[in-house]
Amino acid sequence: MNGRDGRPADLIVRHAHVLDPSIGLDGVTDVRISGGRIAEIGDGLRGGRELDADGLHLFPGFVDVHAHWRTPGREDEEDIESGSAAAAAGGFTSVVMMPNTDPVVDRPVIVSGLARRVEKESSVRAHISAALHMGLEGERLTEMRLLKEAGAFCVSDDGLGTASAGVLRNGMLYAKTAGLPVILHCEDHSLATGVVHDGTFAALAGIPGSPASAEDAATATALVLAAETGAKVHITHVSTALSAALVGFFKGRADVTSDTTPHHLTLTDELVCTLEGLYRVNPPLRPDNDRRGVTEALRDGVLDFVATDHAPHASEEKELPLEEAAPGFLGHETAFAALYTELVLNRTIPLSRLVEAVSCGPGRWVGGAGSLRVGSPADLTLVDLSEEWNVERGALLSRSSNSPHLGRRLTGRVAGTIVGGALVYDHVGARFGIRS
Amino acid sequence: METRDFLTLENVERGDLRSTLGLARACAEGRLREPLAGKTVCLAFFEASTRTAVSFELAARRSGADVISLSEKGSAIAKGESLIDTVVTLDRLGADAIVLRHPAAGAAALAARHTTAAVINAGDGCGQHPTQALLDLYTLGDALGGFDELSGTRVAIVGDVLHSRVARSVIPAFRAAGMEIALVAPRTLLPLDAGAWNLPVLPSVDGAVEWGAGVLYALRLQKERMTGARIPSISEYARFYGVARRHLEEGVLVMHPGPVNRGVEISGDVVLDGSSLIPAQVAAGTAVRSAVLALATGAAHEVAA
Repeated sequence: MNGRDGRPADLIVRHAHVLDPSIGLDGVTDVRISGGRIAEIGDGLRGGRELDADGLHLFPGFVDVHAHWRTPGREDEEDIESGSAAAAAGGFTSVVMMPNTDPVVDRPVIVSGLARRVEKESSVRAHISAALHMGLEGERLTEMRLLKEAGAFCVSDDGLGTASAGVLRNGMLYAKTAGLPVILHCEDHSLATGVVHDGTFAALAGIPGSPASAEDAATATALVLAAETGAKVHITHVSTALSAALVGFFKGRADVTSDTTPHHLTLTDELVCTLEGLYRVNPPLRPDNDRRGVTEALRDGVLDFVATDHAPHASEEKELPLEEAAPGFLGHETAFAALYTELVLNRTIPLSRLVEAVSCGPGRWVGGAGSLRVGSPADLTLVDLSEEWNVERGALLSRSSNSPHLGRRLTGRVAGTIVGGALVYDHVGARFGIRS
Repeated sequence: METRDFLTLENVERGDLRSTLGLARACAEGRLREPLAGKTVCLAFFEASTRTAVSFELAARRSGADVISLSEKGSAIAKGESLIDTVVTLDRLGADAIVLRHPAAGAAALAARHTTAAVINAGDGCGQHPTQALLDLYTLGDALGGFDELSGTRVAIVGDVLHSRVARSVIPAFRAAGMEIALVAPRTLLPLDAGAWNLPVLPSVDGAVEWGAGVLYALRLQKERMTGARIPSISEYARFYGVARRHLEEGVLVMHPGPVNRGVEISGDVVLDGSSLIPAQVAAGTAVRSAVLALATGAAHEVAA
């Protein structure tokens, strides 16, 4: 709806409980959106359209720096439209798309093509991670400066660790020259020879295990190289207590940030007992002491934020024995609810820290997101913290259904997602209608 | 008779540069008649070289010296004789000067400790290449209208600084001549502590022109560095670190120690352009090396006396 001058009229989100740790907001108030940006926050705002958010919480839009939308190449599993719909349904207003597609996002022409498609097909903001090495093979550097000109936001060989420290070091140096952050999946392939965590449950089930050292040794290497080269490095999906402690040691010694995932914060390798392919993921689910260590590191800010590693897979790739299944879980749509249910309701971490971890922290990392500061883009997430819901295949907007939470009941549901002032997801429909 | 080694330009002083280049001018103009008559100059090249070897040989012969050439092939070097043993042999055979090219930094200094002959470093590994830097200053001084015109001129050194002995000689030489220097290279081709020289690092040749570089000094990119480990592709390298015609406006001069990879460090149409000093650099080699030989063997003093 446009106002008389042809520009969209202001939108006032009324009576939401606004929680934004980045600017110290925590209380029921109104938010005015104008020209796609946050224009004003205060009580009793008037003028323009109104959205009645009474009883809902309003957070700065969630940001996910780790998503696989499988485009180009595996649009049967996810595409930009379905991936962004799933992200919006999970409250995410910005994501970073990983480059391990087919073809790999390793050439400028692929980046510019993807950027054009995102423009047309994505309902949320989607940043492009290009590959660090051609074909993700850890040999030849990609043309990072040309990739950046084509629209790449960062570089990563996600899904594969980089085999040699020497190669990784040059990659960091060149990424620094190109001015691109590097997202690192830390995994030493000489150690990671199994398919689940090498622990009690792998031993009992007879499934080949990969030890925690596969992640810890690679994380240590990456951190040392980040400190030496001065490159801007983000370590993704930290899943062990030791890796989290290593990251903590390098805070202030390197330009490094880190995330962990909702599944490593809420699930453990006990699921190996099921022998179900659904539960294969990389890095693997860890024992409860690692889960607790990682959770404490997130609570204390040693780990900066959460990223989902949203990894859709076709059912024929998941409904297999563990050893044969493809690794990866859906993440966008259950992330907030799983963390709220498992970590906030039982008071392991406060709600404000969760909001920092899914919004403010990753928003700062991508830049200009994750805050309701006046003048910021109007990217908002409305959540009903009291709603309980069942995670079911039919309820998911992703084109795939490999959620590790299938069949579980979660508390806290995203009610609406606003990107640049536009409502891109509206769970409650009628109740949520915007009144002029 | 006083001899003097020529090993490095680290810590070189402006006065030394000026007098050496002045002597080179005298050589070029034929004012020194056979200063090396009766001297023996030995060229010991433990590594392939075309222009440096040829220009040293020409310089020595025109100065009237007896010249012995040892190359890797066809000498005891090929049989695995050590650097020190080769140098001692040449010393006992009566060499007055040994011109040494070697793949390891520090080789010239090591050789100098084992002979009374003057050792002239003709390039040692990634260490030093002092006569290259001298001929560069000679050429550039000519182009700008005199040695004193170098002072305050901005020069951007572009490319593989990390593996370049030329860079390690031209940086102190340009600095001693009063030039302002910036480096242009990806971090993969710079020493980790690029701040060791206390020089700014610029992102591209475009950036260097914006910075006000009057001279673009391109370094050679060795073929083995083009495989993707340190630079992603020739096209990305040429785009950001290659000197192209668009950089030539406003009297910018282009230099390169050779041999040029056309289309990599310098686009093909620039190599022999009017703004390119590359042919003049080669031409300056003989005069500058004659002067260095004369200084090294003490012949310059004898002539002056």
